[in-house]
Amino acid sequence: MSEDPKLGALRKGFLEFLVLRIISGSTVYAADILKKLATTDFATQEGTLYPLLSRLRREGLLDYQWQESEAGPPRKYYCLTSAGQRQLAEFDAYWARLNQTIDSMGS
Amino acid sequence: MRPVISVSLNGRAYQLEDDAHAALADYLDSASRALAGNPDQAEILADLEQAIADKLERCLNPHKNVVSRGEIEQVIREMGPVDSGAGSGVPHDDVSSDAAAAGGSAAGAGTATARPAGATTSKRLYQISDGALISGVCKGIAVYLDVDVTLVRLLFAIAAVLTGGLAVLAYIVMMFIVPYANTPEELAAARGLPFNARVLVEQAKLKAAQLADAAAHAAMHNHSREARAQWKAEWRKARAEWRQEWRRSRAHWRAYRWAGAPAGSIPPTPPMPPLAHFISGLIWAALGLLAALLALTWLFALFSLVTTGAVFGWMPLHVPLWVAIIGLILVYQAVVWPLRAVRHGMMPRFYGYTYPWHPWHAFWDALVGLLLLAVAVWYFTHHGHDLQQSFDSLQQNLQPAWQQLLLAWHTLVHGAH
Repeated sequence: MSEDPKLGALRKGFLEFLVLRIISGSTVYAADILKKLATTDFATQEGTLYPLLSRLRREGLLDYQWQESEAGPPRKYYCLTSAGQRQLAEFDAYWARLNQTIDSMGS
Repeated sequence: MRPVISVSLNGRAYQLEDDAHAALADYLDSASRALAGNPDQAEILADLEQAIADKLERCLNPHKNVVSRGEIEQVIREMGPVDSGAGSGVPHDDVSSDAAAAGGSAAGAGTATARPAGATTSKRLYQISDGALISGVCKGIAVYLDVDVTLVRLLFAIAAVLTGGLAVLAYIVMMFIVPYANTPEELAAARGLPFNARVLVEQAKLKAAQLADAAAHAAMHNHSREARAQWKAEWRKARAEWRQEWRRSRAHWRAYRWAGAPAGSIPPTPPMPPLAHFISGLIWAALGLLAALLALTWLFALFSLVTTGAVFGWMPLHVPLWVAIIGLILVYQAVVWPLRAVRHGMMPRFYGYTYPWHPWHAFWDALVGLLLLAVAVWYFTHHGHDLQQSFDSLQQNLQPAWQQLLLAWHTLVHGAH
């Protein structure tokens, strides 16, 4: 995929927002998140996602629980903390404002 | 020959070819460097190892347990370069890794869909001795084709008549070259099923998940060292129980597939003291060896009867060849039957589940056996003479080889005394 690096930079900023949104829907583990993103413009790999998840957890936006998997060791299932939900609400509000702004400009 | 290196990825062992190992070590090194200074470095590395292990599972199966360089490179491409992730999320850090992530997206999307396909095993033809009439070739074919064993036996009998005994020769050849399915893995492969069939996994998972969940919850909200140690101990205990459950359900599942009976109807047997387990294992193995020796002796006797007209030079009555062959089959069945009965009786003690050896099955097998016998009798009475001639010519051709074999057999038998 060859595209404008500026768009790549934009996308990177939004990835965090999208990950929070996916986790807010239901408790998921990392492969679920990757699967959801894979079909979108935000297709991500483990190498990017794991460090991001770890940072978001350190910032107190999400937490995880160990759950047994069908084969082998248990998996981490992620969920949003109340701080994460507040952050997501802020993001949502900001996104709506941003859309309005973009729509009202130009034309 | 290639050297293989064993590695542990987050607690699971994998075998890699040497250059595959080098590629993986490179990747994990660079990941470790990218995460230098990140307070969660160890944890992220463990997560990455786990993800690699999950991806490797899909290139491995019971018949392939070593990972090649090509496979590891594919996995690394799917994983993508490791982002430092230490930044504030502002898009100033490396754009290159992001571009790589986008480039790898197609591969990443493929991963999710490719996984279930990778879980299936290829089917293989085995001989299956349980429920076999002679050696288990027909049973193996029936399982392979997923049809009733009776149908295969009848087809074999008809083929034997139509081809003038050639199918019998084919049976004997297959008896020697087709391997026996002994382990649960091989039995699963005979059916083309993945060994870790989903059903039993789900069953075992549920129980362990409840335990692990509670333990993990306790550990998460109490970060003290004692709580962690306690959680670990509990987790180990849960895992041991889970493994036991798995083994039991695997045996259930196997018996279930066998008889078509509901798995719940098979009662669990109480555990056996280790010494009794050991002794019954010895008896089991000895009986198996005895059965194999008997089968081999029977084969030699049959061969000797067909080629020389006497069993190792011994012929009490002057009867036609076909009567002698049937007599030999009957004698063999009579000798082997109590042995089989004892082994079936020991099965629950040894394997920990009751083998559903239904009287109806025995009756059905006997019926088919009689039918085969009737067909054989009919055939030999009508075409006995032709067959005798073809056997005679066969005998002339095989005589030198047979003499050699007989000699070897005699030295083996008399050398033992």
